[in-house]
Formats: sequence, C-alpha cells, structure tokens
Amino acid sequence: MNNNFPDVEQRVKRYWYTDGIAELASGGMFILLGIFLAAQQYFMENSLFGGLSQGGLVIFLIGGMAIGRWFIKALKARLTYPRTGYVEYHVDRRNTNLRRAIAAVVALLVAGFSLVFAERVASFLNLTLALTGILVGVIFIFLQGRSSGLERFYVLGGTSMALGIALSLSSLPQGYSLGLFYSLMGFVLIISGGIVLRRYLRENPLPAEAERE
Amino acid sequence: MSNELRSVTELDRLIHEPARLLIVTILSTVASADFLFLQRETGLTKGNLSAHLSKLEEAGYVKIEKTFKGKLPLTVCKLTAAGKKALTQYRQQLQDFMQKTS
Repeated sequence: MNNNFPDVEQRVKRYWYTDGIAELASGGMFILLGIFLAAQQYFMENSLFGGLSQGGLVIFLIGGMAIGRWFIKALKARLTYPRTGYVEYHVDRRNTNLRRAIAAVVALLVAGFSLVFAERVASFLNLTLALTGILVGVIFIFLQGRSSGLERFYVLGGTSMALGIALSLSSLPQGYSLGLFYSLMGFVLIISGGIVLRRYLRENPLPAEAERE
Repeated sequence: MSNELRSVTELDRLIHEPARLLIVTILSTVASADFLFLQRETGLTKGNLSAHLSKLEEAGYVKIEKTFKGKLPLTVCKLTAAGKKALTQYRQQLQDFMQKTS
C-alpha cells in the first residue's frame, strides 16, 4: 500500500493524464485550428470567407471544445475506465471562472500589445506568434505540468515556446505561420499522447470479466 | 497522562486506520471514484477494500452506488458530508497534537 498521503491528491489529479487521451484530443483540435487559420489567410483577400471566418473562429473553438470533451469521455469510457477505474473530478466553479478570467485578460493583453507594437517590429518578428507560443507554453507548464507533476508537460511547454519564437522569425504571412504553429504543436501533442496511450495500454491489460468487482 | 497526549486518544479510530484513511483521502480529492480505481490506488485486495468500504458506509462517511457507465457496471463511491467533516476534524486533531508535542 502506498502510504505517501501528501502525494495522494496530485496522484489522483495525474490520473486524468495517465492515458494520453486528453493530449490526443488537444492535438486534434490544434491541427484543425491550424488548418482553419491557414485557410482563413488563403481566402482572406479574394472571398467573403475571410470576413465570415472571424465569427466562425469563435463558433469553431466552442464547438471544437464540446466535441473534444465528448471524444475524451467516449475514449476514456472505452479504454481507461475498464482497465484502471472510473473517476469523476470535482468541478471547482470558482477556480474555473478565475482561470477563464485570467485567460481572457491575457488574450486581450496579447491582442492589444500586438496591435500597438506589431507594426514596429513586424519587419523582423511576428510578435503575435511569439506571444502565442509563449502563452500556450505557459498554459502547459503552469496549468498542467505543475498541477499534475508530469514532466512531459514541461517539455511540451518548452516546445511550444521554442516553436512560437522560431516561427515568428519566418517571413510567412501571420495566418500561415500561426496555422503552421498550431498544426506542428498538434502533431507534437498527438505523438506525445500516442506514446503515452500505447504505454498505458501495454502496462494495463483489460482485466478478465470475473476479476472486475 | 498529559492533556496533549490524551488528545490523541480522541482521534476518530474509524478514519485513523491507515487503509481507511487512504480511501477517505482519495475520495476527498474527487467527486466520486469506482471500486477498481480505489483498489489500484490503495493496493488493497478486493475483500479488504470491500470490508473497509462497508465500515465507512456503515458510519455514514461513504456512499456506495451500483450504477452503469455505458455498458460498464460500476460500484461508485463518494465521500459524504459527514465523511468530509470527519476527515477535516481528524486532520485538525492530528495537526494540533503534532504542534503540542513537537
């Protein structure tokens, strides 16, 4: 029996990420977002799609998150719960609202900062992309890495920051470079999630029917 | 026996038992968890876990529900309000004891 009580809470939180399914879903979302942003850039100048897609992005993100949640739940019900058990987490509404508020403020600051300074530095740096890379990296490191104690999220955070800064130095139009950033991060997440899921399935074979309960 | 030492005898013995303390601590960090998850996390045998859960259920600290998640039968365990209160009180008592005796 593991009697390391102070570690119990973090171990239980870490269980959400034990199978890599959340990363696979996030990776899929990132790739779709990347394709969407690149398509937006492509159609921006010569069709109505560019204008319509601004509003479409919000719908895409909300719909994508709902589908992502459904995907995670369905896959966990099929693969994880029969192998290592079912857990329902507390929904801390105060904490969730606080996180949303912080994310909204940071997003607004990034947008405002980009609008004010983008023109000045656009010649050598795609500021929005660099900030996006850093922001996504911070989310991986502080929201997921620190709460779960899993080292791979620090690597993912570092990858996001490096990728954002590296791509910000490219001469691609912003839509394409942002699209490329999200697509590459999506692939990285899918590879990471895939490795974790493969290892999880290998280490946790499905128990025989008689062994369950 | 001094008052400081006597306070340790007032600890809730139902929760003080290591296996049950671990079960209650796990359940305090989640909304609910099933039997398989608790078994894996505690490392207890089925019989042992069942016995400890029954004691906690009898004391009103844990609520056990037989349910389904899709086609999967689940025995879902939740910490009750009384269970949460008992764990908080236990932690406080233990902390007080440690402070007084250290």
